[in-house]
Amino acid sequence: MSPTAHMNIKRVFPRTPTILLGVLALSCIGVLIADFWPFLQRGLAGQVILSPDETDFDQILFHYSTLPRLAMAFLCGAGLALAGAAIQTVLRNPLASPTTLGVGAGVEFALTIFILIAPASFAIFQEAFALAGGMIALGAVYLIAAKRGNATLWLILAGMIVNLLLQSGTQVLLLFNEQYLQSVFMWGAGDLAQNGWDATLFILPRVAIGMIAVLALSRPLDLLALGDETASSLGAKVTVLRLLILGFAVFITASVISAAGMIGFVGLAVPAALRIAGLTRSRDLMIYSVFTGGFALLFIDFMVRQFNGLGGDILPTGAATALFGAPFIILILRKARIIPGNQSDDQHSDQQIISKTGLSILLTVILIVGVVFSLFTSLDGNGFAVLGWTGPWGDSSLDIFTGRAERTFAAMICGAALAVSGTLIQRVGRNPLASPEITGVSSATALAIIIALAIFGVGQRADLMLVGAFGGIISLIVLLALCRKFNHAPHYMLLNGLALTAILGAIVRIVLTRSGTQTSMLLSWLAGTTYFTNMDEVMIVAGVTGVLLIVAIALRRPLELASLGTDQSVSLGLGISTFQFAMMLVAAILAAAATLLVGPLSFVGLMAPHLARVAGYRLAGGHLLGSVLIGVNVMMVAEWLARNILYPQQLPTGLIAALIGTSYFLILAARKR
Amino acid sequence: MKILRLFVSCLAVLGVLGALPVFLAGRASAEPIVIDHERGTLTLDHPAKRVAVTNWAFTETVMALGLDPVAIADPVDYREWVAKPDLPENFTDIGQRGSPNLEALRAAKPDLILISQELEMAYENLSDIAPVMVLSVYNDGNVAFDTASTMMRKVAKAIGREAEGEAYLKQVDEKLVEYGARVRAVLGDGNKITIASFYSETNIGVFGAPSLPGSVLKRMDVPMSYDGPVSKWGFARGGLEILAPLAKTTLVYTNPIPDVIYQKVWSSPMWKVMDFVRNKRVYELPVVWAYGGVASGLRFARLLAESLESGPVQ
Repeated sequence: MSPTAHMNIKRVFPRTPTILLGVLALSCIGVLIADFWPFLQRGLAGQVILSPDETDFDQILFHYSTLPRLAMAFLCGAGLALAGAAIQTVLRNPLASPTTLGVGAGVEFALTIFILIAPASFAIFQEAFALAGGMIALGAVYLIAAKRGNATLWLILAGMIVNLLLQSGTQVLLLFNEQYLQSVFMWGAGDLAQNGWDATLFILPRVAIGMIAVLALSRPLDLLALGDETASSLGAKVTVLRLLILGFAVFITASVISAAGMIGFVGLAVPAALRIAGLTRSRDLMIYSVFTGGFALLFIDFMVRQFNGLGGDILPTGAATALFGAPFIILILRKARIIPGNQSDDQHSDQQIISKTGLSILLTVILIVGVVFSLFTSLDGNGFAVLGWTGPWGDSSLDIFTGRAERTFAAMICGAALAVSGTLIQRVGRNPLASPEITGVSSATALAIIIALAIFGVGQRADLMLVGAFGGIISLIVLLALCRKFNHAPHYMLLNGLALTAILGAIVRIVLTRSGTQTSMLLSWLAGTTYFTNMDEVMIVAGVTGVLLIVAIALRRPLELASLGTDQSVSLGLGISTFQFAMMLVAAILAAAATLLVGPLSFVGLMAPHLARVAGYRLAGGHLLGSVLIGVNVMMVAEWLARNILYPQQLPTGLIAALIGTSYFLILAARKR
Repeated sequence: MKILRLFVSCLAVLGVLGALPVFLAGRASAEPIVIDHERGTLTLDHPAKRVAVTNWAFTETVMALGLDPVAIADPVDYREWVAKPDLPENFTDIGQRGSPNLEALRAAKPDLILISQELEMAYENLSDIAPVMVLSVYNDGNVAFDTASTMMRKVAKAIGREAEGEAYLKQVDEKLVEYGARVRAVLGDGNKITIASFYSETNIGVFGAPSLPGSVLKRMDVPMSYDGPVSKWGFARGGLEILAPLAKTTLVYTNPIPDVIYQKVWSSPMWKVMDFVRNKRVYELPVVWAYGGVASGLRFARLLAESLESGPVQ
């Protein structure tokens, strides 16, 4: 199979893009008339644009707030859509965009660090810093996916990994700077409010330069779209051109995000929609994207403005845009045929260093030693402390011991549940980058809990657990309904899950900007913490995990078949879909259970099965057990680190696990080069 | 002899009478202390002496009552954002307010832990360490200064310092009246006050009636301008245009503000045309915790009076 993925886009109507653009343009004229109306009535429209009457506040407000906001909306929308079109063409990937490939999250992370840490005298470096953040994130995504020939699906999944990591990194930075939550978090949610023309004048030249550069390069882009071989035979210096175009796309994205915060999905949805509507030549696509993107954001922002001030609060444009845009992913999925890429070579290329039995025993020994170590030792600010050694083994020692046991076991059970879940998803989906988080079930569970807590004021942990489980079940049903048509291709389930995750992420953001008092507690829970767990919950989740693990092991034979060479059976129409669905269901239940225990993030479900297979656990049964052993070990280590490295401050366990996981993939990618 | 005997018995009676109050007082303190809070009723056999505080409103309240907390969350940021009163010399740092370190907390051996609803999910885990009282100053529709006073009374009762608590609150009431008169003297007749925070140059919070500044202003009998919808914390949020309808009032903004944001606000054309900027009715408030308790409320009132008396921002 060729390592490059192709997009098969049907031509619907040749004129559809023009109609789409026309409708949007008309809507925007409507928006302008609505905004200008009070001044048109008085015949002041010209005056209010050029030189407003300084004594009339309505005119001042319009000239310095509404008008620049309209301009900003158009520029940001146009810039992001163009950046998206460029990235999609260069990577030949209909799901690529500044947000899905981690560029947005990278810029946001860099800027958050900058705002919180950099002294005022460093202000001139802000832009370079943001640009570097975006580039590094994109580089990381590219590196992770590179050895799979950057196939569509792998690039997107790698983007998801980097995105989730960077977003949780940003959230943790905010957690440690709670007082700045209001300003930084709001900016992170994408706010287009303006006070004057400064921001517009900041981004106008940058977006313009970026646009001209990308458009100038768009002729060679058409060659690129033909594939590497064709392009290089035609003499274009493919790599340089690609990097140049990607660089300008990131530059535009970084400028927009610096000025207006995270505005997602324009960059993904607009060019993808235009493609589906029938635009194939990159030059046309770019020019249409500029205008369609600009008009679309202008219109969405107008809608958002109508809800501003509701309940004394702001509705952030960026998060709202994601709500509008995410359904497009589902639409795109239905229109564009996506090839999941070739199967990983890991299975055959790695040498078995030690026997599986030896490895299992080693892992078990590490586990036992590790549990003893993490229960008896800690860093208490003065240095290394052993329980019952430095202090008297008194009554409180036992309590400390049980407290630690509760959290350590919670982390370990969560590791086991996610490891089983991930193994099932990776085997059934035949994709080593699939992770339980991207089924969307974790996000739905988290969202249900957040809404119950922040909007309905449910504070009791037991009630919240019930609500969360309910949310997880609903999302499962939605996911299954979405995937009905695609039962022959499990990777569609992953992509639909990805869309679901994105939609839910946007809602979480909106709720969080409005939830006030509990935001910090929710942020730490969202990043994955054992802080709030208790032994009863640990026992219940342990029971569920145990039963489902046994079920999975009992079904290891069909699982083996499902993960090996089913291409033929699929092409012959011999669906093994019922079994695949059942396994995905089990995986989703496990992911939801783990989320209930420690929150939605960890990556153990991604890393543990991957590591287990690389380490030599090839057959389904062994793979399950191996990844459980690894998952439990990783979470145990993460939990100890989370509690102790910044004592008495505590980090979310999920974040440490995610850091371990992403580093693993980056090291793996770097070594393979 | 008779006289001597009478004298001795008189002494004895006096002695008994003298000892009686002590005896009764001793009995009284042996009665358990019962306090209602958001997760039920707390019963303490003795007044709490080692109190752990998980947010700054509790920190300043316990200190205002004359007791040093044994465990304090986020002490470093406290110095920047709450500033006063100064923290005690010795205490256990229990990390973030959002997730106080359970082991550090246990090591501090508290006999009472104070939390608000933000930590409610951890109520059971914290209850394993010591009795927990859940008291929220900020919640839907609560008038902050009133709930802060109630919170202070409950904390005072729990630590056996009710008299000190009442005395403190009475003194605060008197001071608020005094500061109110001073503020009104500068403000003049018919002028209202607007309290705002700059989160960024386009993201501004305006305090409403339920907030701590709003409810303190009411106690000071100083008219406050904003009366629109507010969030749970008692403020409304919006762009600079949220200040436009309030431009005729006197504006007081809170600190700390990052320098960059300060400069951007002051150079914004919309800001420059606001009536309070043109006619120099903008005042700056030094650092005061706008989400604190009674002590922060008092500090707000004092700083407001001092700020207005020292003149507008140039």
